[in-house]
Amino acid sequence: MMAIRELKVCLLGDTGVGKSSIVCRFVQDHFDHNISPTIGASFMTKTVPCGNELHKFLIWDTAGQERFHSLAPMYYRGSAAAVIVYDITKQDSFHTLKKWVKELKEHGPENIVMAIAGNKCDLSDIREVPMKDAKEYAESIGAIVVETSAKNAVNIEELFQGIMIRTVCSSSLASWCWLCRRLLVSSELAAGLGHAAVPAVLGGVCLHRDSRL
Amino acid sequence: MALGTAHSLKAEQHHNPPSQASPDPRGESATPRRRCAEGSGSGPREEAVLSGAAPPRAPARPAAGCCRRLRSLRAGCARAACLSRLQALWLVRQRLEEQSLGAVGYASLQLCFWFGYICFGSEFKAFTGVFPGTMSCLTMKAHCRDKRGSFFKLIDTIASEIGELKQEMVQTDVMVEDEPADLRSLVKNMDNVSSEKKDVKGCPRDSGYDSLSNKLSILDKLLHTHPVWLQLGLNDAEATEILRAQPPGIFLVRKSSKLLKKVISLRLPGDCGSCLKEFAIKESTYTFSLEGSGISFADLFRLIAFYCISRDVLPFTLKLPHAIAAAKTEAELEEIAQLGLNFWSSPANSSPSDASAPRKPGPSDSASKDSRQLCLINGVHSIRTRTPLELECSQTNGALCFINPLFLKVHSQDVTGSLKRQSLKSQDVNGTERPRSPPPRPPPPSINSVLMSPQLSRTIKQASVPETVNHKKERDLDLLQSKPTPIPPPRLKKQAVSAEVEGGSSKPAAVIQPACNSVRVPAAADVVGETPPPQPAPTASKKPAVSSSESHVPWNGGRQRLSDMSISTSSSDSLDFDRSMPLFGYEGDTNSSLEDFEGESDQESMAPPLKPKKKRNSSFVLPKIVKSQLRKVSGVFSSFMTPEKRMIKKIAEMSRDKRTYFGCLVQDYISFLQENKECHVSSTDMLQTVRQFMTQVKNYLSQSSELDPPIESLIPEDQIDVVLEKAMHKCILKPLKGHIEAMLKEFHTADGSWKQLKENLQLVRQRNPQELGVFVPTPDFVDVEKIKVKFMTMQKMYSPEKKVMLLLRVCKLIYTVMENNSGRLYGADDFLPVLTYVIAQCDMLELDTEIEYMMELLDPSLLHGEGGYYLTSAYGALSLIKNFQEEQAARLLSSEARDTLRQWHKRRTTNRTIPSVDDFQNYLRVAFQDVNSGCTGKTLLVRPYITTEDVCQLCAEKFKVDNPKEYSLFLFVDDTWQQLTEDTYPQKIKAELHSRPQPQVFHFVYKRINSDPYSAIFQNDDSAS
Repeated sequence: MMAIRELKVCLLGDTGVGKSSIVCRFVQDHFDHNISPTIGASFMTKTVPCGNELHKFLIWDTAGQERFHSLAPMYYRGSAAAVIVYDITKQDSFHTLKKWVKELKEHGPENIVMAIAGNKCDLSDIREVPMKDAKEYAESIGAIVVETSAKNAVNIEELFQGIMIRTVCSSSLASWCWLCRRLLVSSELAAGLGHAAVPAVLGGVCLHRDSRL
Repeated sequence: MALGTAHSLKAEQHHNPPSQASPDPRGESATPRRRCAEGSGSGPREEAVLSGAAPPRAPARPAAGCCRRLRSLRAGCARAACLSRLQALWLVRQRLEEQSLGAVGYASLQLCFWFGYICFGSEFKAFTGVFPGTMSCLTMKAHCRDKRGSFFKLIDTIASEIGELKQEMVQTDVMVEDEPADLRSLVKNMDNVSSEKKDVKGCPRDSGYDSLSNKLSILDKLLHTHPVWLQLGLNDAEATEILRAQPPGIFLVRKSSKLLKKVISLRLPGDCGSCLKEFAIKESTYTFSLEGSGISFADLFRLIAFYCISRDVLPFTLKLPHAIAAAKTEAELEEIAQLGLNFWSSPANSSPSDASAPRKPGPSDSASKDSRQLCLINGVHSIRTRTPLELECSQTNGALCFINPLFLKVHSQDVTGSLKRQSLKSQDVNGTERPRSPPPRPPPPSINSVLMSPQLSRTIKQASVPETVNHKKERDLDLLQSKPTPIPPPRLKKQAVSAEVEGGSSKPAAVIQPACNSVRVPAAADVVGETPPPQPAPTASKKPAVSSSESHVPWNGGRQRLSDMSISTSSSDSLDFDRSMPLFGYEGDTNSSLEDFEGESDQESMAPPLKPKKKRNSSFVLPKIVKSQLRKVSGVFSSFMTPEKRMIKKIAEMSRDKRTYFGCLVQDYISFLQENKECHVSSTDMLQTVRQFMTQVKNYLSQSSELDPPIESLIPEDQIDVVLEKAMHKCILKPLKGHIEAMLKEFHTADGSWKQLKENLQLVRQRNPQELGVFVPTPDFVDVEKIKVKFMTMQKMYSPEKKVMLLLRVCKLIYTVMENNSGRLYGADDFLPVLTYVIAQCDMLELDTEIEYMMELLDPSLLHGEGGYYLTSAYGALSLIKNFQEEQAARLLSSEARDTLRQWHKRRTTNRTIPSVDDFQNYLRVAFQDVNSGCTGKTLLVRPYITTEDVCQLCAEKFKVDNPKEYSLFLFVDDTWQQLTEDTYPQKIKAELHSRPQPQVFHFVYKRINSDPYSAIFQNDDSAS
């Protein structure tokens, strides 16, 4: 029996950016009948194999409305990672995202892995937030960044794979290199992410080949 | 007596032919032989007559293979046969399930009888002796019941068979090839059996009456002596050291530091090379098994017991040290257990190897040689030990592996009982001059097998459940036995009940059920604690049985009844049957005349109950009946207990027992909390200390040796915490619930928060959903009422986990309403507003304390899961309501509220991440005060039962003290010094100090006895903390 490592992930972001759609997509694609479904979409779990461990994502959705903002600390406490979602067609949501990042830095758990998801990338023709902005911002705060489409299932898997790697690695490595962030969006990683694959892909550039992955 | 037993065993073999010939539904062939049996008044004569019986025809039914196998069961009293018997049982079951219609029902029924006959030869014999009288009373109903009884019998049989097997295994290590192909080999086997029985003559087992000694099954022995062989703390070297001096087969169970698992360290034969081998024990969520084996067990004791009997994946069976194996009383075992690890080096362990050799052949060479010889002598095929694979007991076939270990224990006692009974019975039967007859043939195929097969399988399952019964009960049994007080035969009660029912009406059997239940349920409430296992089988007793050869008469009606019957076959019934044996033998010892009756009735229970003939009897023993009924009831209930439940029950009992340290701890804390209301400044403070106390006690329990048997032996490691948590709820929260609630109410009333909440609830309720941010369907009045009911149920629970479960149900209901079949999934954006709305609509102030109770007391490990999520949401929703007014103004929670949330988060998270370094753990910080070097502190490994004397010794070593006699251990508390006397337990003292609600600063200091206490302590005050 493989060990199960629980990974609490908190979803933050404005209301209507598609937080729960992302999770639903992630959880419900490749639906595993062995896993008892949760009672609602606010809290979902998904177990993903990683190396010789199983990682169980416990995904906590939060209410994005301003009036619930103050409850957020209860949700992100003890999280290993936070997915902060914005809508690429709404500049406002990107602003909110920055507020969340700030709050997490101040009050969030130490070493929380932050992942920025620019959702609705299927609507890139009405995009308001340039991808470059997001990338630069993410780099500046050392976060994972990826543009997703919950509707078309784009990069959803990658997003969570990235979180998984980051959380596993961050537990054994102090820092994370830029390369790894790029890795997250690479399809090879999404495909395999096996024990052997990681060092090969990294080609010795990154320290984390020595990590437990 | 021994001879008698041997005889009866033999005789029962001879009963085989008749039933073997019975595939013919009319069963004419059975009759003449029955007459033979009837004529035989005494055993030997009967034997003579019967052995002349014609060789049987092979059964023509598809189940023929099973039959043969079954037949062989009795014959092969071998370890290997044990497994094959199980296999046979399995086959029977499968067969019953496979075959779906018509004749098959009959076949299966026949099988039951068959099986009963084979396994219970002598009982059948006696039972059939009662037959003629009952034949005349034959009715359709009887017929029906007959069949029903037969199923119970099957279960009973299976159970006792296995139990008996085990007993046999204990005595003999012989391996015999099972499955004799024909009667000849059967006979040989029988000879084998009987000769073996004779061999065993000297052993207590055969002396039917004075078999007190034999009531100790392997499992009992293991349970009693676990301090000897269960040495989880032992390291490799120590284990090697101990085992090197032991004969092969001796084992220890310990935790391997390499594998990080429990292992069986087994002494191998030969002194060269590695004298011991390790076998890792795999622990899954619910079971224990040996790595590589497909057989799993509910707990460690059962596992070991099994491997004492069957080697499975081991090179040979485990062997108990001679002293343990030879022990005849609990007292002896206790004595051995007292020695603990020292047993191995003590003279008690010096095994007189010669003495033990014949009956307990050493594993390996001697064992196989021994068995081979025996086999040869008896002309039986050579040994072939089966691997689990051969036995089809791989994981896919799970049931098999479960039946075995579970049955091992209780029915080992049966055996004693049944042996005794056999002799009793024959006497009795002879005495009363009841004519004998061969076993009844099964009634014709009146069975709707569609109904039947599932039923049977169900009953089999049920039957296996009770076997998990607490070993304690067996002890009780033993106690009962040793007491001269007669034990009321509990069976009679049920008998009476059923008799009434039967006598009063000709209703279908189903009626019995409710009637019985009505007796039982209230009774169950009265009987708490361990009582002996339920008594037997009631219905049958004293009522003339039905002979099946006659019973085929009106079986059209039988069909109808049978279907009724299958509905009525409830667990309690089958349980009664199943567990009918254990007490029985003991009763026989203590309660003679009545018991004879009982014995008789018990055999009769092989046959369906029928006539209310004995009703007089039962009413005349009524008081006893009642008592025993109670016992039975509680037995039935506790028999359903899983190891987990047993453990929890045990801990709960211990927590009430002030003689245990744990009990003191818990009881003192509870009464302290109840009496000192003013010691907490806030509700949070109070709940926190309660939670902390639970965590500490949990830590203590998981490490202390007070739990007997140790929890590790019953509960797989990853479940220990879960089980302990549940136990904590039961023994701490349950008694405190009322108090905590009252206190919470007091706090909230005092600080005005309830008043505020009440006002705000009012305010929020007046808003429409949209104003609260709800844009999805909301629960209507009816749904809100439903939710309220759930919340009210929640208030009644003491366990925070159960409360959370109810909260989840409420949330589920809300989701259902929201989704309204739209198929849309709603996230927190939509859910949280609805939850807030619903909570406001419910208008229950108590919810506030409920949520608080859960938030603070829930096991921290659950806070990240679904329960934690919705609890957080509910808490959030309530906070929003509480701050509604402010929110209106600022659209934000007050800074105060935010602080509260943050604090809570911090507190609970810390609680989780930092494993409470406790206090009850095995470490003791001791300061060393020396004139030269000042004060130094060291943390020492000090287990709870280490005395001050030992600690001093340890300190002398660690601190390198030259003249230890001048030093002693002191406790510095409340600014005073107390020298600890040699026989005190520092860990207990520490635990006691920690359990005080007002934490005190204290230090253990190792220092010179006569030095001035005040010279150093103040400057080194914190050195020991």
